[in-house]
Amino acid sequence: MKPPSAVEPSAAKGIAYLRGAPLMAFALIYTIVSGGPFLWVAMMSLRTTPEIFASPYALPSSIHWEKFVDAWTKSNYGTYFWNSTIVVVTAVALLTVIGAMVAHCLARYRFRGNRLVRFVILSGMILPPQLMILSLFQILLEYHLYNTLTGLIIVYVAGHLAITVYILEGFFAQIPQDLFDAARLDGYSDLEIFWRITLPIGVPALFTTVTLNFIILWNEFLYAVVLLTEDDKRTLPLGIMHFMGNHQLDVGMVATGLMIAIGPVILLYAFFSETMIRGMTAGAVR
Amino acid sequence: MARVAITELSKLYDGGGEPAVKDLSLTVGNGEFMVLLGPSGCGKSSVLRMIAGLEPITSGKIAIDGEIVNEIPAKDRDIAMVFQSYALYPHMDVFNNLAFGLRRRGIAKTEIERRVQGAASKLGLLPFLKRKPHALSGGQRQRVALGRAIVREPKVFLFDEPLSNLDAALRVSMRNELIRQQREMGITAIYVTHDQVEAMTMGHRICIMNKGEVIQIGKPLEVYRNPANTFVARFLGNPPMNLVPTSVEPDGGAYQLRVGGMSLPTDCWPAETLSRLGGKALLGIRPEDLYETAQRPDERRRIAIARAHVIAVEPLGAETLIILSLEGAAEEVTMRSGRETRLRPGDNATIELDLAAAHLFDPKTAQVIPPVHEEREARWAKAE
Amino acid sequence: MTERALRQRAATPSPPLALDARRASRATLIILLAPALLLYAAFMVYPVLRTFWNSVHTIKPNNVPAFVGLDNFRALLGHDWVFWKAVGNTAIFAIVATIADVLGGLLLALALFSRVPFARFLRVVWFTPVLMSYVVVGIIWVWIYDYDWGLANVILRAVGLGGFEQSWLGDPRTALWSVMVTHIWKWLGFNMIIFLAALYALPVDVLGAAELDNCGWFAKLIHIIIPMLKPTILNLTVLSFVGKMMIFDLVWIMTGGGPLWSTETVSTYVYKRAFDWNTFDLGYPSAIAVLWFLIILVFIFALTQIMRQRERLEF
Repeated sequence: MKPPSAVEPSAAKGIAYLRGAPLMAFALIYTIVSGGPFLWVAMMSLRTTPEIFASPYALPSSIHWEKFVDAWTKSNYGTYFWNSTIVVVTAVALLTVIGAMVAHCLARYRFRGNRLVRFVILSGMILPPQLMILSLFQILLEYHLYNTLTGLIIVYVAGHLAITVYILEGFFAQIPQDLFDAARLDGYSDLEIFWRITLPIGVPALFTTVTLNFIILWNEFLYAVVLLTEDDKRTLPLGIMHFMGNHQLDVGMVATGLMIAIGPVILLYAFFSETMIRGMTAGAVR
Repeated sequence: MARVAITELSKLYDGGGEPAVKDLSLTVGNGEFMVLLGPSGCGKSSVLRMIAGLEPITSGKIAIDGEIVNEIPAKDRDIAMVFQSYALYPHMDVFNNLAFGLRRRGIAKTEIERRVQGAASKLGLLPFLKRKPHALSGGQRQRVALGRAIVREPKVFLFDEPLSNLDAALRVSMRNELIRQQREMGITAIYVTHDQVEAMTMGHRICIMNKGEVIQIGKPLEVYRNPANTFVARFLGNPPMNLVPTSVEPDGGAYQLRVGGMSLPTDCWPAETLSRLGGKALLGIRPEDLYETAQRPDERRRIAIARAHVIAVEPLGAETLIILSLEGAAEEVTMRSGRETRLRPGDNATIELDLAAAHLFDPKTAQVIPPVHEEREARWAKAE
Repeated sequence: MTERALRQRAATPSPPLALDARRASRATLIILLAPALLLYAAFMVYPVLRTFWNSVHTIKPNNVPAFVGLDNFRALLGHDWVFWKAVGNTAIFAIVATIADVLGGLLLALALFSRVPFARFLRVVWFTPVLMSYVVVGIIWVWIYDYDWGLANVILRAVGLGGFEQSWLGDPRTALWSVMVTHIWKWLGFNMIIFLAALYALPVDVLGAAELDNCGWFAKLIHIIIPMLKPTILNLTVLSFVGKMMIFDLVWIMTGGGPLWSTETVSTYVYKRAFDWNTFDLGYPSAIAVLWFLIILVFIFALTQIMRQRERLEF
């Protein structure tokens, strides 16, 4: 029998701490790498371009809030912001309603063509945008929807219906059938069942798709760059690109524009980080 | 083979609240089979995981063969554990599940082969060595989990409710298998369960826990016959012990227990203890110590007669449970009777009560009132 | 009754429609499905078919489309060296960035999983780039790569490695890799979250059993955790790979495909041929899009086949 071991708890903790040190260092470095660029832009957005070129990585010496006012009024960022808001809010609302209707049908009812409808709609998830963008350009021109926000909204709704239905159907299918049978015995019609059972119970899933679609559409670039060319129709990502193209050297103002674009996302993220993380990864976790 | 000594062990989880384990001390001897028994959430699994090294210890000491292992990582403790969920490696076939721990310990290939084949043939796993866990039945998975512990030939076996996911028939056969293996190998074992049948049949000793504390440790029958308090009295035994409130009344120099209209003598218990009860006590009597008149087997016992009203009769096949209310008392008691009974619900019956097998508890502390020594001795001498 | 009548009776649904809870009236189905189906027909199905049609035509503004058969495809596969350059770049991008994404995401997830302090906070910060648009990310990294005042060169000079300073996006040798670093930086957080969820879904007891089987953290990682994460790893690889086959935004924003085609991808080339090319022909880029789509389809099919053959791990 060995004598009682003489490992001191404090010494053991010291060893554990040493083993943890590389991990801590790694965590710290990656935190700087992932978050640092945004802090840097935030600082630049409050400094003038001459200040930035004098010392790109300094803290703001005096804070120039007026740059945000300038960007909003003189550089058309106000217009870009409202265009983005109108497009995203309308598209997300339509996606949620139309997507929920389809998901309810697919999850709840057996009907002829069920599998065909599911296949057609879900295949939208693997169609690359490049495959449609050229002909959408032609089609919108023909329908006189080219260079209109309406046209962009329609394209967005069609393009993101697949992932919306995919997420919602998965959730709706888990609602117990007994609930629907009970509602039917209580005399609810099919549409009332959708409205009063599926939607209220599906709120968490609807929240997820709203978050996902909001972030993706707020950031969308490819469709917008092809389908919008007039300056007063541009959404924020296009507007910033356009401004960047015209004012390559005005780094300060571009930074302010970037902050206007990421502001709403950062603000929402500060309060709803869990929801947004869940939303963005919803389609990938099975 | 090893001796496991636990001294004043406590476990406090993050987030505060009551400690999961409070000042638990326990010694498990060399080759002993110790059962930790208690309701779910009583901290028994925490104790096991701390012995294994899977959970940090808040305070106290765990020693294996005299060596304090508090700071020794799980992998170096030479302990094998069988989990409730079996915890088989899903990506390895049965052979590799058994061999993995041996390979990690650098044991020679031929030796690994020998031990795995040995364990597999003992447990009837030879036909399944190339299968992965998902292609096995619950009972087969259970055997693999047991085999994984056996091939290791560790100092200590830990079992965390290993049989609770099996169906009833399989549970009985696995129980016997497990006992046989442990007795054969003589390896110290600590077994956690909430099932009193497992505890009674498997352990050399059982340790009854509640709310993170040890309530009573002893040999299974000892604990069954001499419960330390009302918790043990109700927890062991199915149906549980009847606990009937009684009043303790002076009667000349001695005391009498009054239940409803019935008076019982108290010469099993020391008068001075009874005098300190404040007039109230709980009378504990197991269902098998109540008899229908004329079914009592042994004339020599101390018998009290009570009048009762039959509320329900539950025939279980091998025996019959009869729910009664004692005359003049509110409480219902359960009586275990033979295969046949003439009693029907609504009948009035006279029942006999074996006072020598009765227990008396202090209602304030719930602790047992120790009987007069020679009376108790004499009682079990007669019974055995 | 004739045999046929009997069969007909057997074929008609025996319970009344209203009592079968899984059935809905035709009107209900039309109301619920029509908006989606019409939208899909007009703005997904029709455009796809039209792109296929376009791919065998030459389509110039103010001209009637001219049928050219498979000429576009022949030209594409035969002597369009820019296309082949773009295919090469896209392939390098898809392979290297996918490997980096999956390994890096796993590494970050393991860091959070091994009880690093402030894990909740770190998880939120590390995920931030995923939420940002390519425009924002692209512009920030264009600045970081700036020759004069960009962070990359500033750091190199500061640590005395000024000799390695580069015009990161301006030099054909480094441009593709620089864009790739930015892309990986943006998506690491996504892979991290998926891995983290998978790690927390691992059965605790199996990890405990591995510890008792004499596994330190590294042995546990190699022998237990990674094999059990295999389904997640394959899933993420497919997702990541297919996404990168279509990459457009970041390249377009940071380099526009330049310099000297060094970052040209298939998607940026499609865009360029359609809108920035003096041929003004929509047929040829449509042919590229169709061909590339078919290739992506083959990859998706092949990769999912591989995944399906794997035995399911149950725990």
